[in-house]
Amino acid sequence: MGPLAEGVAAPPSSYAGLTTGLAVLMLVIEFGMLQATLLRAQVRLYAAQSVVISILAVVVAFARSVPELYGLAAFSVLLKVVAVPLVMLRLLRRTNQEIAASRALGVASMVLLAVAVAAFGFFASARFGLAGPVLPAATLAVAVAIVLVSFVLMIVRRDVVSQAIGFFALENGVSLASMVVAAGLPLILEVVFLFDLLVAVVVFAVLIRVHHEQAESLSTETLTELRG
Amino acid sequence: MTTVLVALAVVPLLAAVLALLPGRLPAPAVSVAAVAAGVTSLVLALVLVPAAAAGPVAAGFLRVDAISAIFILATAFLYATTAVYSIGYLRGEHQRADFARYSRLFWVGLNLFAWAMLCAPLMDNLALLWIAVEITTVVSALLVALDGTRRGAEAAWKYVLIASAGLGIALLATIVAYSAGASVLGPGYDLAIAPLLGAGPMLPPSAVRLAFVLAVVGFGTKVGLFPVHTWLPDAHSEAPTPVSAMLSGSLLAVSFYAVLRYYQIATAALGGDFPRGVLLVFGMLSLLLAAMYLIEQRNLKRLLAYSSVEHMGILAIGTAFGAPLAYAGVLLHVLAHAAAKGNAFFGAGVLVRAYRTKDIERLRGGLDRLPWTAPLFLLAILALSAMPPFGLFRSEFLIVAGGLGSERFVPAAAMVALVTLAFLGLSMATTRMLFVPAETGPGAASAPRREPSAWMVAPMIVGVVALLVLGLHPPDTLSALIAQGAAELEGAR
Amino acid sequence: MTLHAITLPIPVVQALQVLTVLITAPGINGVIARVEARLQGRRGPRVLQPYFDLAKLFRKEALAPIGASWVFLAAPLIAMTCYLTVPLLIPVLTTFPLPLAYMGDILGGGFILALASFVIAVAAASTGSPYAQLGASRAKTFAAITEPVVLFVVFTVALVTGTDLPYALAKTVRASADQIVRPAHLLAAAALFMVILYETGRIPVETHTGTNEFGMIEEARPFEHSGPYLALLRWGSTMKQLILFVILINVFVAPWGLASDATLVAVGLAILALIGKAALLGAGIAVIDDSFAKLRLFKITEFVSAAFMLAVLSVFTLYFGGG
Repeated sequence: MGPLAEGVAAPPSSYAGLTTGLAVLMLVIEFGMLQATLLRAQVRLYAAQSVVISILAVVVAFARSVPELYGLAAFSVLLKVVAVPLVMLRLLRRTNQEIAASRALGVASMVLLAVAVAAFGFFASARFGLAGPVLPAATLAVAVAIVLVSFVLMIVRRDVVSQAIGFFALENGVSLASMVVAAGLPLILEVVFLFDLLVAVVVFAVLIRVHHEQAESLSTETLTELRG
Repeated sequence: MTTVLVALAVVPLLAAVLALLPGRLPAPAVSVAAVAAGVTSLVLALVLVPAAAAGPVAAGFLRVDAISAIFILATAFLYATTAVYSIGYLRGEHQRADFARYSRLFWVGLNLFAWAMLCAPLMDNLALLWIAVEITTVVSALLVALDGTRRGAEAAWKYVLIASAGLGIALLATIVAYSAGASVLGPGYDLAIAPLLGAGPMLPPSAVRLAFVLAVVGFGTKVGLFPVHTWLPDAHSEAPTPVSAMLSGSLLAVSFYAVLRYYQIATAALGGDFPRGVLLVFGMLSLLLAAMYLIEQRNLKRLLAYSSVEHMGILAIGTAFGAPLAYAGVLLHVLAHAAAKGNAFFGAGVLVRAYRTKDIERLRGGLDRLPWTAPLFLLAILALSAMPPFGLFRSEFLIVAGGLGSERFVPAAAMVALVTLAFLGLSMATTRMLFVPAETGPGAASAPRREPSAWMVAPMIVGVVALLVLGLHPPDTLSALIAQGAAELEGAR
Repeated sequence: MTLHAITLPIPVVQALQVLTVLITAPGINGVIARVEARLQGRRGPRVLQPYFDLAKLFRKEALAPIGASWVFLAAPLIAMTCYLTVPLLIPVLTTFPLPLAYMGDILGGGFILALASFVIAVAAASTGSPYAQLGASRAKTFAAITEPVVLFVVFTVALVTGTDLPYALAKTVRASADQIVRPAHLLAAAALFMVILYETGRIPVETHTGTNEFGMIEEARPFEHSGPYLALLRWGSTMKQLILFVILINVFVAPWGLASDATLVAVGLAILALIGKAALLGAGIAVIDDSFAKLRLFKITEFVSAAFMLAVLSVFTLYFGGG
């Protein structure tokens, strides 16, 4: 291992590299959600994303001695990896619909748009220069990118389940941002946030079922009656 | 005072629990409980008024200062009147096949909704504030879909998606606010509001700026500010009328309360210019959009919903003027708007019930048919258009005066012009509905001249009285409260 | 003079680089075919079969379609020349740059590879045969997305090292294990791997060994060539495969086992190491071949878009995140 040559960027420490890598994996999964056709695949991708963020929480808890994050990771797994996907999958089974409705844009355009949006997110968070004590700044940039790409997902997808998954992915992005900026947030508040998410999930599920009963489909392309 | 605070936080919840109990109770017990909870909350809020005018009242993580007392009073008033109105409203729903279940869900939802809206201003904690607003979203989304129509499902879905996405951004704002606070107050900072205000100028400016903008966009989704207001007309028009009244009259205001808190923090940390500029932009755009959409509106409840957008825009503009007069106007506006909008929706509900349509073109001859409701509805619309002697005239006058006093001539003039435009839209629709006689075909019997229910008329009378009181001569304790609230917004503590 | 002390003259090492690639390239194809067959439960062809195929083709008669221009006959030769030039530029055997390595940086290497691909596509288009033209047009359409991916991948590594000479890149990556596991690097390597799958015509882009005419992209372009020309094209494509493997392995993923001086032993070990690493990568590709199905043609856009996205992400992660 010789000294690095002139002008070479030093690699990040293995902790920074690992956490940034996990965060980027979350963003990659987010892009995967954009491309997924089957609704079940989207739900599973969301579960995968939640697993990654739980692993990240455990890594941070271990390496930076923030024991509250262990509890948070456990709650995350219970809620986001088990409960939410179960609720959504059961809903899908009841409605007997598997394929996502058509998107407003083609796949390549969507990926380009999402990349542009993620780039904006990276720029913006670099501009604001917020940093946290436990995670590198790159992770915050990725979190902002995840939030923005979830918006793209909610806007471009034309069926209620994809839009709901987009919202849950947005919450994942916000959780990641909170881990960067506010790792010391009292545990009780984080747990309450999670329970709040659970309540939101239940409401979403109920409304999706109501929508399905009324409209006989999961597509939102028919929601055009209320205008003006 | 501690008991008052705790009682405010608990009483509506009790009513909700009571409504949940399976049908051993006689049917009137549930509605009586709700009305009792509403009236009790109103009484408690009135008790709070003199106490909060003197200074903040705190008990654990509950804290009421003058600003929160105003919002609590507005919400409690609307809660009480809506509960009474709902009794009459539900009488008309008896022909539904699932009426027992419908009414039970209705009462549970209404009480939970009011509970969450009362809790939000009580909280001394930004995170708990967010949670309370989130609870209001989920409960009200279910209530919007309660009627079981297709349009209701569409409106509820749009509402919950947009509002939840907005609240996700607001959660980011909360977290950034935590980061700003923790950098000054230490990592054990628990998002309490008062210490954050105390630390004011020491907070890192870029973080506070980011938190404020995120809060305005995020909570502004629930306030109905342009451009994230798109869910508002749908949700407010498709929900059952009592729910619409509380949505328009209280929920928008409580969400604006959250924006006000962040405004306070931002002003303490950054000075007034940046927060006021942001609010002015959003407020002006909302007012402009609402005024334009009010002109050609065909749906009665959508008309009222756009009027809500207009008034929320006025609130934002008033805050953006930054003068003590304007702040006082904003706080008075919250109270008066709750009463007026509640009345307007109550009247609209009766009209819809009597004519069985929301289409303004088909509503004709209101004065002939509804001897009580039609004049009261007319008074409500006049109040909403800021006619004297009603409370909204006084509040908007104060806002414009504050704007002129702080030399914001152009925005003040624009506001007056746009409010006039909105008045045009509202009055055109109303006069057509109430004054133009109904056309009756040859041989058709004219409709009966009868009020559907006295329960639906009484709250409107109370509302008009409240508006007159607020407009002509607000009680001294209330004026003291408003003055104290304006001082708090200025930065005193 | 002991064996250890024999030092090869630099021009010999330089020539050895090209010769290694030239000679072992078909063998890698053979390894992949053999591993794939074994995974499928067959015995499979012998590893040296591609050499016998090439020999057979050289003996056969060459035909050309009526109306094909001189490009049709010149293309295999031009392509072969390109494929012989690129190994001069990249670190195939040695850690230190050889004299001719400064002829071009990695962008230049990419350009030469693209030139070869372009010439073959023109030749295919000039035949007037529907399958060949189909393959050529498809290849160029997807290349519109994969070429930028390669550029982004190069940029990622170049941003790290401040240069884009392949030898310098390899040296930086070799400097510490942290360089390999940094997220930007992993993303870039993943993107490059997906491009390799596309360029070498493997699942999930094409079936390499079948004759599925309607799905063929790379495989359809030499449709009309025959005899020695076809042999040159086939050989050239295996060399392209090995060159891309070498870039992935020796610059990105596993840049060890290269000769640090010009002794015979070191260079010999380097040749063996190269064959071993390429064979391993080929075995991995065989496993992928057997695990996934071929994508439908319009889904290949999604595949290459995914590669594009990974590459862009790697640049962002590096540039904004320092990762």
